[in-house]
Amino acid sequence: MRFDVIVIGLGLSGLMAAKTASEAGRRVLIVGKGIGSLGILSNTVDILGRASRDSLKEDVLAWIGDNPRHPYALAGWQGIEEALRSFVSLFPPPYDFSAPGGRNSLIPTGAGTRHPAYLVPATMLGGIDADWGKTLIVGFEGFKDFFAEYVAHHLKARGITIPLPRADQGGITATAIARLMEEPGFTGELAYGIKKRWAGEEAVGLPALLGVRSPAQVLRELESETKLKVFEIPILPPSIPGMRVFNRFKGHLLARGVRLLQGQAVVSVLREGRRIKGVTVYHAPLSRTFTCEACILATGRFLGGGLLADEEGIREPVFDLPLKKPSSRGGWFNKRFFSTSVHPLHFAGVMVNEKFQPVDGEGKPVFENLRAAGTIMACHSSIEETSREGIEIASGYAAARRACEL
Amino acid sequence: MSIKEIKPACDVCVRCATCMSICPVSRVTGRFPGPKQAGPGAERFRNPGESSVDNWIELCLGCRLCETVCSSGVPVSELNLLARAKYLDEQGRPFRDWLLTHSHRLNGLGSLLAPLVNPLLTSRPVKWFLDRFLRIDGRMNLPPYESVSFRRWFRSRPGNSSGEITVGYFYGCYINVHEVDVGRATVEVLEACGRKVILPPQDCCGIPLLGHGDLAGAARLGNYNLRSFGELISRGEDIIFASPSCGLMIRHEYDRILALPGAREAAGHIFDIFEYLSLNEDCRAALSRGLSPLDKKAAYFVPCHLKALNIGLPAFELLSLIPGLKLDLLEADCCGLAGAFGFKKEKYDISQAIGRDLTRAAERINPDIIVSECEGCRMQIRSLTGLEVRHPVEVLRDALGSRP
Repeated sequence: MRFDVIVIGLGLSGLMAAKTASEAGRRVLIVGKGIGSLGILSNTVDILGRASRDSLKEDVLAWIGDNPRHPYALAGWQGIEEALRSFVSLFPPPYDFSAPGGRNSLIPTGAGTRHPAYLVPATMLGGIDADWGKTLIVGFEGFKDFFAEYVAHHLKARGITIPLPRADQGGITATAIARLMEEPGFTGELAYGIKKRWAGEEAVGLPALLGVRSPAQVLRELESETKLKVFEIPILPPSIPGMRVFNRFKGHLLARGVRLLQGQAVVSVLREGRRIKGVTVYHAPLSRTFTCEACILATGRFLGGGLLADEEGIREPVFDLPLKKPSSRGGWFNKRFFSTSVHPLHFAGVMVNEKFQPVDGEGKPVFENLRAAGTIMACHSSIEETSREGIEIASGYAAARRACEL
Repeated sequence: MSIKEIKPACDVCVRCATCMSICPVSRVTGRFPGPKQAGPGAERFRNPGESSVDNWIELCLGCRLCETVCSSGVPVSELNLLARAKYLDEQGRPFRDWLLTHSHRLNGLGSLLAPLVNPLLTSRPVKWFLDRFLRIDGRMNLPPYESVSFRRWFRSRPGNSSGEITVGYFYGCYINVHEVDVGRATVEVLEACGRKVILPPQDCCGIPLLGHGDLAGAARLGNYNLRSFGELISRGEDIIFASPSCGLMIRHEYDRILALPGAREAAGHIFDIFEYLSLNEDCRAALSRGLSPLDKKAAYFVPCHLKALNIGLPAFELLSLIPGLKLDLLEADCCGLAGAFGFKKEKYDISQAIGRDLTRAAERINPDIIVSECEGCRMQIRSLTGLEVRHPVEVLRDALGSRP
């Protein structure tokens, strides 16, 4: 089957690339082995955690000045801004993303820390300027991934763990709680349980499990039933807010006629000289080949399988692209694991030029019609920079625009 | 032997919990620990020489959704299936499970005696008996038999299939006696696209037996079917299925899990009906010429095993071409029936809880009709919503008018 653009990878960068190419009128196939890290890591849209000025724009421009090979430098501020607008447009109110004050906000987390995020979903806004002395953090008995008292201790709030209405005996999972939240009448029962232990607080922080489909409605119901301000706190995986983002993208892409193949990996590629003619997906025992005009690689790093590491070294498995990497295995990590400087391995990845084409050691494009996007790119350390979603959104958008020659 | 060669399938799991976000069972009950724990997690503690302790392994639906989201390529459902097979081999299978997995053997009789059998199936004493003694839940309705089976209709219909390209149709046990119109529609659509349709000899695909861990029984059925397909395949002809679970079994599990001889060669000749229509230019052209308007609001539900086939949504794409048909995607992850699962008394609550999410998704759309390829899903959605539920190929046939 023939497509204009094939995107490999179902994470945020791949989804952004597919959205962008599809909106440019291209016939798009997006294919991935799994759904990437959206369902585990992403709760907010982080652009640059260290940003400290009054506007993110100034911080990013300064960052670009200091880091000319960084993905943000290749996308440019204007490109980043356009990409963020495109992302935000997918989420109309009431569950919308916004950047209060046009700068980073500190969001309370399930570790009791405060995390610098740029775009924040409506349900988490209440946690930004909470008066912690007047805030109640609520956890649920049987749910092992959120300890209210621990979180509250660090935030200097009060934490309680209450029985969850309608829950099975024993353990309960994040998805089970998120599902209960959208069951008719459930928020009323939960609000009753909260009010029983209420001691005059003004706001309630709950783990980010307020439903997958209509979290803003769940929040509104809880607020009207408790008469308190309610907000979500991002927690350990799986990420329910990440699932909301994935589902929204998926629905949008399918409605636009994008072909989505989810569950099997691209195992080989068809090449003709310096062009990619297509990709082959293996679903035992069948191989199927899809041809294309342009291809975008957005397979992520080690967690999603975009880069493979073993005893001998690291490699990119789909196109066997040249990688920027430490010269030897011994140079992957700093001597101390928890050292404050970034481990050299974190900067490893695919080098791209300003057209987002992967390049070899001499800076020449490896394939004319191949682009790379997302965290697989070299010259960033999204963990330390707190820049994962920003890189994914900006580079997914930019790579697709360039693949469509816009 | 290097570490790479002995590394078992479970060790590629990075414990990231993505599968936990999709599992329909762990979403509704705490009794099932979820794919991550039940599959690769528990597998590390299993020893072939020791007896199974994980009785919750029976609660895995076999929907395979976990495998469609895993970025590490862990064969979670396969691990679960093999663990369940071992558990059931040790515990023994109740007569009820034998009955539910061998219903195809009763199809001839059921169809022949349909006027007699159907009232019995819905009668209260019979339901009470099935519930009390066989633990087939009395709140479920077993599907009624049609008195003229699909095979009989096909043989006795006036006029014959003609066309230069011949395709074989694997209709499956359920369509043959419980929902004949789906078979008719499949034949009529293929014929409208200029295909000559033949029915190769066939038995149950074996997926119910596989789901109950009877690998040998499933392999016997698989070998029979593959021998029958062999003749068509050697002539370069393709085989079409319209039931995703049968298709998944034949195309992938005959090789992947059962390693049947000839399965690999057959897989490349086996197609879902809508996949086949989309892949063939002449079929697409024939269809786009002949579609007349249908003034209806429909919701399309993607069956789990269609997701597992990973062919995209060709039915959704093709039905979208019908003028006047307003088509929405029904946003639910699973219908909850999972073949025999939902009929079992001890699993009824789980099955219905999963189904309730689908019911709510349907209410939000409020369609005239729901379409889905899987017969299990159709059965469950009919009973959950009371709506008209059909196979997309029936809707496509309707849009093609009365031809051929």
